[in-house]
Amino acid sequence: MRRSAGPAGLLTALTLLLIVPAAPARAGEPTPQQRIEQQLMCYCGCSDLTVRTCTCGTADAIRADIAAQLGAGKSPEQVVAWYIERHGEKIRSAPTTAGFDLVAWIMPFAVLLIAGATLVMLIRRWGLRPAVATADPGPQPPGGAPLTAEQRRLLDRVRKDIEETY
Amino acid sequence: MAEFGTLCLFIALAAAGWSVLASFNGWRAGLGQLVLSGERAVYATWALVLLAVIALESCIFANRFDLEYVASYSNRDLPAVFKVAALWAGQSGSLLFWLFILISYAALIVLLNRRRNRPLMPLVVTTLMLVAMFFLVLVNFMARPFVRLHFAPVDGNGMNPQLQNIFMAIHPPCLYIGYVGLTVPFAFAMAALATGKLGDTWFRTTRRWTIFSWFFLGTGILLGGWWAYEELGWGGYWAWDPVENASLIPWLTCTAFLHSVMIEERKKMLRVWNITLVIMSFLLAVLGTFITRSGIISSVHSFTKSDIGPLFAGFLGVSIVVSVGLLLHRLPALQSEHRLDSFVSRESTFLFNNLLLVGAAFAVLWGTLFPILSEAVRGVKITVGAPFFNEVMIPIALLLVTLAGICPVIAWRRASARKLVERIQVPLGALLGTAAALLLAGVRDIYAIVSFSLSAFVIATTAMEFVWGTRARRKATGESTARAFRSLLDRNKRRYGGFIVHLGFILIMIGVTGSSAFKQEATATLKRGEAFSIGRYSMTFDDMDSGTPHPNADFTGARLLVSANGRRVGTLVPGMNFYKTGQTSTEVAIRYTLRDDLYTIMTGFDPQTGQATLKAYLNPLINWIWIGGAVLILGSWFAMLPDLRDRRRDIEARLQAVASHAA
Repeated sequence: MRRSAGPAGLLTALTLLLIVPAAPARAGEPTPQQRIEQQLMCYCGCSDLTVRTCTCGTADAIRADIAAQLGAGKSPEQVVAWYIERHGEKIRSAPTTAGFDLVAWIMPFAVLLIAGATLVMLIRRWGLRPAVATADPGPQPPGGAPLTAEQRRLLDRVRKDIEETY
Repeated sequence: MAEFGTLCLFIALAAAGWSVLASFNGWRAGLGQLVLSGERAVYATWALVLLAVIALESCIFANRFDLEYVASYSNRDLPAVFKVAALWAGQSGSLLFWLFILISYAALIVLLNRRRNRPLMPLVVTTLMLVAMFFLVLVNFMARPFVRLHFAPVDGNGMNPQLQNIFMAIHPPCLYIGYVGLTVPFAFAMAALATGKLGDTWFRTTRRWTIFSWFFLGTGILLGGWWAYEELGWGGYWAWDPVENASLIPWLTCTAFLHSVMIEERKKMLRVWNITLVIMSFLLAVLGTFITRSGIISSVHSFTKSDIGPLFAGFLGVSIVVSVGLLLHRLPALQSEHRLDSFVSRESTFLFNNLLLVGAAFAVLWGTLFPILSEAVRGVKITVGAPFFNEVMIPIALLLVTLAGICPVIAWRRASARKLVERIQVPLGALLGTAAALLLAGVRDIYAIVSFSLSAFVIATTAMEFVWGTRARRKATGESTARAFRSLLDRNKRRYGGFIVHLGFILIMIGVTGSSAFKQEATATLKRGEAFSIGRYSMTFDDMDSGTPHPNADFTGARLLVSANGRRVGTLVPGMNFYKTGQTSTEVAIRYTLRDDLYTIMTGFDPQTGQATLKAYLNPLINWIWIGGAVLILGSWFAMLPDLRDRRRDIEARLQAVASHAA
């Protein structure tokens, strides 16, 4: 136990050495401006990116406009609504959480939950089946002579080997 | 040459048709000669398609701009390597290329199975050639590569400059090799279902081909990410674009199959499920092609749109009906006894792994297709973009990572509580230690903390697996540690190759988490001599640079003097290429380190004021994605190396020895 902890511990320590310096101490909370940019798709037609990530001129113009609208005292929600009104639902980067859009969010998790519950049920049922394998004495040597204790141990080791190698 | 190519494709369609007819009827009537004739027709089709490919390539190299395809995707100045790649730059060419890969597989399968799998072969050939016929119909009648223009332009349009990148030249062939490879397991599954010969042979062939396809799909996806990062200039590598999703979905179901197939090998369970996964992967690959080629969901990758959509939908529909019908028909024969020794066993972790992988595939598919559904239900076409997929997929990915960590510490069949506690101590320590260290360092992003800690957990359990294995072997054989380690890996290539793949996957997770949770960005419009900074880096705009990187492009860029913590570390020159064809492309400049990438872009330059508009990203840990990718590829190769047969023979010999000793 002690000895085996060494290399694994070392590897983990190396991982930490790698991660910690790269992670800046201050968690970057997105600004309202960035949150709006994240909610809108760039409609430049050259990419499938949000205003936040797109690098084209159109995205630059939108970003400047968002800043101006926020500067004029509009709330982030009002700015987003202003854009949706002009360019349609299609420029929203993700489904909303109301109405039919909600189905988009719920479905993946609902399917996972239902399938997961079914799987747990199945495993329980399969686990309750009588264990046939334990009653199986394994390959009998020709002539029917019973195995000695040592041979049985050897056979068990081979079996374990087979199990572990797959 | 063009007429010759057209002719070849036409005769190829006839040959493929004959192959289907001969194989199927030969099977039904039990006429060996007819079956043989069908197989020979596969070779003939292969030769004809090969000739068509050569014809198209020679037209491209001969600058035959009177051909629409050549005029659209090539020009005189295009470097030779991209002239080769022009074959898959457009719609009809890529369908021809796809067909060529498929028919090459078919010919290879026929060649390899001259003596093996004989009862299955007629229907394997029938299935493969039916799929080939579909693509032959497309290139003969819908998307023809050899169409002539009414006039011959002096020069062609050339290839989209963003596609003129060596990774982009390799990425599509890799994906295609993977996608198309999934047809082979599907064909074997169909043949096994139709004949009722559901023994071990089809199964082994299927597994080998699925690993092969899985490997190329994964490599293709990674290369695509690398290309996007280097070429597209937005600082990222994955945008959850419909076409990217289309390649990820079958990769996920293949990954599920590679795990659940181990349960079938050991326990003869899950046979229906495994066949379902094989069928699903193929159908999803076809769906992927359909999404790519039909432009049904608007996407950056719709470089190539046309009206072949309905035909694809029809093909997909028929494939679903036939395969599901056959599966239902054979359901009684496929029933196997399902029995597990314990709830806490490695078998159950594999089952949950399948649940999560197929669940993930469903989630991606669902998000990708939801815009169509929304349009059908509400009449409003909405967008399901990156924010949706990030929200949904992060929890699923974290659960998968957890499972990858727990799985090795749980024994096959039945895990004893004592062993479990003993084995989980160190990994659990690694998990808690990492979380504590991150909190102490001031990290507050909850997803990042969970992801990094779980990664440490998996690294620890996987490392322990190697340590324990080596120790057990050393004890048993008395070998030195290094030798024991080597022979451990040598004798269990699939097992340890699999663990190496897991490590690669974890490195990718670390890279993805770091570069998305801690990404920083800065924008500035600067005069010469002015500077802006990001993280520990400061960049001074020195002067403009220009050059001629290609014979067909001029480069203009901003020379940035970069210093880290006040010390000069180098120069970066982000800029733009201006192509003679009038197109432009952003040329990013990156300073790579293992800790983070400094990624710079010049978005604009005003010659009047002499000001350059610059953007910089700091992408922490991003190179671990590519390193992880390399580890993953290495692990896959290692796992694919042949050793299974030797080990089986070895074990059988030992069993024999025990038995004879007893006698």
